Amino acid sequence: MLDGGLAEDLADASLAMARRFAAGATLWCVAPAWEPHAHHMAVEFVHPVIVGKRALPAFALTGPDLVARARVAARSGDILIAVAGSRDEGVADLMRRAPAWGAISVWIGSGGRPPAGAADHVLWVDDPDPLAPATGRFVLLYHLLWELTHVCFEHPGLLLLSSGGAAFPHGSAGEDSAMADCCITCSDEGRLAEVLEPPASVFDRALVRTETGLEAIDVTLVAPVTVGDLVLVHAGAALTRLGDA
Amino acid sequence: MVANNANDVNQANKAENTGFLYPFIDAEERDSGALLTELAESARAKTAESAALQQATLTASADQVAACAAAMAKRFAAGGRLYAFGNGGSSTDCATFAALFANPPGGSSPAPRGLPALSLAADQAVVTALGNDVGFDLVFSRQIIAYASPRDIAVAFSTSGSSRDLMTALREARDRGLLTVGFAGYDGGQMASSETVDYCFVIRSQSVHRIQESQALLGYQLWSATQRALHPLMGASQ
Repeated sequence: MLDGGLAEDLADASLAMARRFAAGATLWCVAPAWEPHAHHMAVEFVHPVIVGKRALPAFALTGPDLVARARVAARSGDILIAVAGSRDEGVADLMRRAPAWGAISVWIGSGGRPPAGAADHVLWVDDPDPLAPATGRFVLLYHLLWELTHVCFEHPGLLLLSSGGAAFPHGSAGEDSAMADCCITCSDEGRLAEVLEPPASVFDRALVRTETGLEAIDVTLVAPVTVGDLVLVHAGAALTRLGDA
Repeated sequence: MVANNANDVNQANKAENTGFLYPFIDAEERDSGALLTELAESARAKTAESAALQQATLTASADQVAACAAAMAKRFAAGGRLYAFGNGGSSTDCATFAALFANPPGGSSPAPRGLPALSLAADQAVVTALGNDVGFDLVFSRQIIAYASPRDIAVAFSTSGSSRDLMTALREARDRGLLTVGFAGYDGGQMASSETVDYCFVIRSQSVHRIQESQALLGYQLWSATQRALHPLMGASQ
């Protein structure tokens, strides 16, 4: 049942989540087509069934416009987890934006896989049956995530986030970010940013959100930009605008 | 800084074998490779355990699933509704179960029929109003009183099989003529020995997680068998 490297993917995701929790992360859970899964994941972490395991901060996000809700809810260092099919455009958009909010992303689903790099951690069941979400397969996966995350807490030395103890080491400490690691022009650092306020004039800079907070950047190369656009930032300037998924 | 000091301790430790003096030494573990291997092995072992329990459960309860599905199909055909309820993670599993009945995904053939099914844990206004005003033990039984008719179905999801709010609701449902169905774990708890439960499915395990995984699959099988049983009752054209 854990075919195609799923056991290893679960191990990687669990360690990444444990590292984030150890640094103070909150877990945000979404499952637009099967909302009870979002609630189940949240209660699993908040109120563990095994007495003595620590309660961890986790919330289910439900209802319409989850991108807007998660944008406000998520803080840098948090974790975003989704249960959804690969064709769920709202979830794909959430996963895409997570690096700009400083969150790592975990995507659980079944059927056709999302494209490579769609999330930091893709935990996939290759079963085309549209009823797979109601058979307990996903329940098993997030139970395992919870169980393995707590195993990681028994290894405090492995929970430290990268050298220097940076609070928000997106793309470090073994975490692969979806797309923010590398500037496509110079192979140097390129960070994902979400536009909050376009520049008032061509002489102004845009206000954007990145994993380290708010910053003003030059967007001349990618102008015009609008609210919500995703751009790759390097050395204070937006080099590329990311197209829609 | 901390890391440097700790490294010093680690070095001293190796030289003098004084590890017992430093119980925090695990905090110096740096290579995650061994842990990742252990985690993946653990995931495989637990998955195998879950699958074995699911298989044992389905085998042991096959006849009961068929009988329960036939009884449920009769009630749906007569216009009955299904109410599902549970606490915590089980409340979400019962919500998934209810959603499967009410709004089954398309794509399979014959197309599954949508059936009236509701989760009694879904409405936070009702649950908190009842919890606050009459006590948590009555959050589901009071809803049964308000909603139910004798042709309806009550389905309780529990791992212990003994949650008081569920037992109270099952008793209320039984008194009102509903068909009562219980999902339990461990040894079945009160559900297994209670006369108020018409069909009790017991997942014989000591792990809440493994119990829930088997209950989910069993719930799916019950839904699937109900769909098959309904087909001749309600006519294929409807």
